[in-house]
Amino acid sequence: MTAQLRMAPETSTGSGAVSGAGLHALLAWMSPSFPVGAYTYSHGLEWAVEDGAVRDAATLQAWTSGVLRHGAGWSDTLLLVHGMRAAALGDEAAFRELLDLSLALQPSSERRLEATAQGDAFIAAIIGAWPPPGDTAATRLFARLTKGEAALARGGWTYALALAASAAAWGLPAGPVATAFLHAFAANLVSAAVRAVPLGQTDGQRVVNGLGTDVVALAATALQAPLDDVGGCAFAADIASMKHETQYTRLFRS
Amino acid sequence: MTVEPAAPATPIPAMQRVRGHAHVSFARQGETTRLKELGQSGSAKIRLPKTHGTPPVAVFLNTAGGLTGGDRIEFDATAGPRAHAVLTTQAAERVYRSIDGAAEVASALRAEEHAVLEWLPQETILFDRAALQRSLTVDLAPGARLLAIESLVLGREAMGEDVHALGFRDRWRIRREGRLVFADEARIQGDATDILSGSATAAGSRAFATLVDCREGAPGLLERAREALSPLLGERLRGGVSALPDLLVFRFLADSGQDLRAGLVSFLEAWRGSALPRTWYC
Repeated sequence: MTAQLRMAPETSTGSGAVSGAGLHALLAWMSPSFPVGAYTYSHGLEWAVEDGAVRDAATLQAWTSGVLRHGAGWSDTLLLVHGMRAAALGDEAAFRELLDLSLALQPSSERRLEATAQGDAFIAAIIGAWPPPGDTAATRLFARLTKGEAALARGGWTYALALAASAAAWGLPAGPVATAFLHAFAANLVSAAVRAVPLGQTDGQRVVNGLGTDVVALAATALQAPLDDVGGCAFAADIASMKHETQYTRLFRS
Repeated sequence: MTVEPAAPATPIPAMQRVRGHAHVSFARQGETTRLKELGQSGSAKIRLPKTHGTPPVAVFLNTAGGLTGGDRIEFDATAGPRAHAVLTTQAAERVYRSIDGAAEVASALRAEEHAVLEWLPQETILFDRAALQRSLTVDLAPGARLLAIESLVLGREAMGEDVHALGFRDRWRIRREGRLVFADEARIQGDATDILSGSATAAGSRAFATLVDCREGAPGLLERAREALSPLLGERLRGGVSALPDLLVFRFLADSGQDLRAGLVSFLEAWRGSALPRTWYC
C-alpha cells in the first residue's frame, strides 16, 4: 500500500530491521545507565561553554551538529560500521587495523581517554552481563579479543570498536547500531551541556530532536561509504579538548 | 543566451598533466649530516642551499608553478642513523580550480635510528573549486624524531575570494617501528566556507595547521609547549597542544594566512631554538 510497507530489509547493507531481543540489547548498551561512565565526558564541550561558543540551545545544536557531521560523530560511525563488517567475517587482521586507526586518530589525551576508557568499560560490561550468544565467526573473534593470550590490553579498545565487536557478536544489523550510536553520542553531549551551561531539560530535548536529521543522514551514509571517507574538519572541537586539559574548574574528564 | 557546443566527434585529448618525483637522502658523517643521494624527475625538483653550521636543508619545488586536477607530485626523504635534516618548500603551493579529478601530493619520510627529520613545508593555498588529496607517510626507527607541519589557506585573501566548492583530504600516517602511532584525516568536501563557519569546525577561520613533534619522552615537554604557545594565541590565532604517547600534537586556526604564518614562524623559531629555512622569510 505504501512505499514503506513494500521496502524489504536490506540486510546486506546492514539497514535491516533489528529483532526484539536485539533492540532490547541495543537500548541497554546505548542507555546513559550502561556502566561506561559516558556522563563524565564532554568531548571538549565544557571548554566550548567556558569559551562562550556554546551558551544556549541554538549554539549547542550548532556545535553538536558540527561534531556529528565533521568530527568524531561521522568518523567513529564509519569505523563502527566497517568494524562490524570485519567482525562479522571474523577477520581479525582487518579488525585490529581499524582499531589501530581508531586509536591513532585521537587528537588529544582527553579524547583518547574518552575513547579508550569507555571502550574498556563497554567490553567489561558485555563480558560480565551480555555474553554474546551462539557460535559464529563474530562470537569467536569477540572471544579471541577478550580472553587468552591475544586479548587486548587495558587501553587497547576504543568505544566505537568495542561496540562494533559486541554488536557483530550479537548479530545486530549495522543500520540500527549506527543510528543508536550517533543518537547516544549526541544525547550525551546535550546532557553535558544541560549541566554545564546550564540549560532546561526541555531545551535539551528540543536539541536532541533537532539533531535527528543529522543522526539519520549520517547513519545512512556510513552504511554505504568506503573507509577512505573517514575524517573531517572539527578543528575547533579538537582545540577545545586540548584547552580543556588546563581549564580551571571542570565537571568532566574531557 | 549561450548554448553549450555539441560534443565533438572525437574525444579531446587529456590536458598535459604535471608529474614529478623527487627523492633525497642524508647520512651522518662524523659530526655533520651530508647529502647521500638525490634524484628528481618531471616538475619535482630539489635545491640544496648552503647552510653554515646548521643541519642541511632540502628545498622541494614544483616547477609547474601550481597544481590542478590530475597532477601528481611525490616527495621522498630519508635520514640515515643519527643524521639531522630539514625539509621545506620553495614557496606556498597553489592548487587551482580542477576541471576533473584531484591533484595529488604524496610525501614519504623515513628517519633511521636516532635521526631527526623536520618536515616544514610552507602553506598550501586552495582556490575555489580546487581538489587536492595530500598524504604524509612517515616511518620512524627507534630513537628517531619527526617534527612535521602542514598548513592550509583557503582562497586568495587579497581578492576576497571565498572557497565554496572544495574537495580536500590530508592523510597522515606516522609509524614507529611499524606501529601506527598517529593518524590524521583532515577532510573538507563541499562548500568549505559554509562548513568552516561552524563553531565546532573553524568558526570562520580560513587558515589551519597541524603540527606534530614525535619523539621519545614528548609528554615531558608539554608544559614547555603550552608556555611557548600561550603568548602567540589570541583573537587572530587560536590553537592548542596535547600530549599523546611519545608525541605532541598541535592544532592552529587563524583568521588569515598571514596570521597563521606569523604565529607558526614565532612558534617554530622558539620551539626549535633556531631560524627557519630562509625560504620561509622570502
